[in-house]
Amino acid sequence: MHSVKGHGRSWRTRCVVALLCVAAVGACGEDMDEPSSALRAALLTSGPVSDAGWYAGAYDGLLLIEDSMDASVSHQQTATPAEYDEAFIAYASAGYDIIFAHGNEYQDAAIRAGEQFPDVRIIVSGGGRVSENVVPLIFRLEEGTYLAGMAAAYMTESRIVGMVGGVAIPPAEGAFRAFEAGVRAVDPGIEVLEAFTGDWDDVAAAKEATVAQLSRGADVIIHNLDAASFAVFQAVREVVDDGRVAYAIGMNGDQNAVAPDVILGSAVIRIPEAFLSTARRWQAEGVGGAPIYVNTEQDVIDFVFNPELIDRVPAEAIERVAVTKSAIREGEVDLPRVIVVEGEVEGR
Amino acid sequence: MSGGIAPARAREVALLGFGAVALTLGAGGLLLLAGGYDPGAAGAAMLRGSVGSWNTFVSITLVRSVPLLFAGLAVALAFRAGVWNIGAEGQLYAGAIAGVWVALTFDGFPTLILIPAMLAMSCVAGAAWALIPTLMRLRLGIGEVITTILMNFVGIYTAAWMVHGPLQEERGIFPQTDRIVEAARLPSFIPGTRLHLGFALGLVIAIGLAVLFRRTRFGFQIRAVGASPEAAAVAGRIEPSRVIFITFLASGAIAGLAGAVEVSGLTYALYENLSEGWGYTAIAVALLAGLRPGGVVVTAIFFGSLRAGAGAMQRDAGIPSAWVDVVEALVILGVLGLERVRAARIVTDIREGDS
Repeated sequence: MHSVKGHGRSWRTRCVVALLCVAAVGACGEDMDEPSSALRAALLTSGPVSDAGWYAGAYDGLLLIEDSMDASVSHQQTATPAEYDEAFIAYASAGYDIIFAHGNEYQDAAIRAGEQFPDVRIIVSGGGRVSENVVPLIFRLEEGTYLAGMAAAYMTESRIVGMVGGVAIPPAEGAFRAFEAGVRAVDPGIEVLEAFTGDWDDVAAAKEATVAQLSRGADVIIHNLDAASFAVFQAVREVVDDGRVAYAIGMNGDQNAVAPDVILGSAVIRIPEAFLSTARRWQAEGVGGAPIYVNTEQDVIDFVFNPELIDRVPAEAIERVAVTKSAIREGEVDLPRVIVVEGEVEGR
Repeated sequence: MSGGIAPARAREVALLGFGAVALTLGAGGLLLLAGGYDPGAAGAAMLRGSVGSWNTFVSITLVRSVPLLFAGLAVALAFRAGVWNIGAEGQLYAGAIAGVWVALTFDGFPTLILIPAMLAMSCVAGAAWALIPTLMRLRLGIGEVITTILMNFVGIYTAAWMVHGPLQEERGIFPQTDRIVEAARLPSFIPGTRLHLGFALGLVIAIGLAVLFRRTRFGFQIRAVGASPEAAAVAGRIEPSRVIFITFLASGAIAGLAGAVEVSGLTYALYENLSEGWGYTAIAVALLAGLRPGGVVVTAIFFGSLRAGAGAMQRDAGIPSAWVDVVEALVILGVLGLERVRAARIVTDIREGDS
């Protein structure tokens, strides 16, 4: 064990590098972004937009705003709380009008940036804190998972169904409570298993949890994960390949096409539509001071059967799901609800 | 051997520094081109986002460099003594937990008591996190590379447990602590920017370590033990285990400060994703600096500018973060590689000069 290096040189290299960087900037000049009167919308996600679910839906929403409203758009994936602040400041000071921060993790940084930049509007998906220009966008996903629970109850033969989640935050738990309630509305005797891996994107942990539930007899498994959802589908596919009958239920986006051989249907958040309607509302009447709720009423939340497997679903199940969906829209179904947003208006 | 080769060295430094930048930027550019992106726009965004203006440089690049500065100094100190502390990440989280705990528990105290208490407690926690690998090395002869890496996981998951359990925000909804009171927040270092006093504290520690290494008996002992514990013991009548013990814990304490400073200066609450692997990046920061405290200041800012520029590459040039990560890794590999080539050539020059 001896010291890695001698002394007397490295800092000079770095000085040279720093000087070169500064020189290069001088050469690059001050080509700032050209000002524009059209809407400028930005998106922040803390995971990859290739997840075919939560983040992908947000990115599609951004592109939908770009196409439908002739907006200029930009996206950044951020990793740490320090980076959240930085991204908000960068976008707000570059003149972006509306920033979609896709996850409750952004809420504190959003409030800070909102105070500093009163003109920008920050929409925080699932956020818990409101101010004049920081607006939580609350997805009533439990309306979709309730319907998914009903479908699952009709399909299970073992009378055991499973739920594999990421981080056990109240919105995620609420979605699972509603799934459970949907299952029990059809058959109170069905056993419902629950596991949280503690990570939305940990593929190995998600697979392990799914395999464990499958081996305990579960034959319909819903997830609430991001990038790790593929692992749930893969685990279900493996037992199906071995000759068992089992299904997975997609979540957040319409994942039916992701694994059409094993996905019974998807509890859908139509994030793109939610984003577009929020942006339109911003343009028409402005947003701020109060959360925006989206649910089955605007067709943002839904449950859609996988067309590839729908001939295996009993007609009674399809009928029951459709009838319940209208009942939820009319507010006639008492669903487990999660209160996420703080009561009082904060900030300016 | 000093006068003769000094000019050659300076030229070599400039040449290889330029070579490192040109080569890695060239490779990164080719890679972006292969992915169908515009390397020119990417490069411009990178520079604009890191050193494009005074405010960008101070509020983004320097702010990003603060945790790397502390963790880099921690690693440099340990490596100098031949202590392979790969555990800065876990020590950082331990420090962050301790700091936020002090801030939340003693929230009625004035700044002048609260902030020093937070920082002191984070040092204690970081040192405590390093204590287990230290004792395992000194008493049981178990290599600290493995034990410090393992302690990282314990630290990261302890932080996750804290924000889901004992230290979770009062409403119990989100995985984070409550925000710390104003009195527990580090004041700004340069008014009008986001740069907090943590940066100044990092500079003070860098100067302190530089003085320690150059001017003090203990600094000499650290270098001697780092070069060869046996030789130090035999020829220098130094007790290597004492030097290793103190250095290892001090390294942990400085890494612990990184966590508390980040919470107190920037995030104002503990989150489970507080760090994006700063404790590991710190190893590159320290090595690139030749383990010199002054060098760490420069390399920490360099890596901070890379991260700052990476964000701008996503925002302004539409390059996905995965590509940004690849380009950044290339830059690190290139710079480290060329640095090593240069070091080898200097050694050759010295040998030839001697003969």
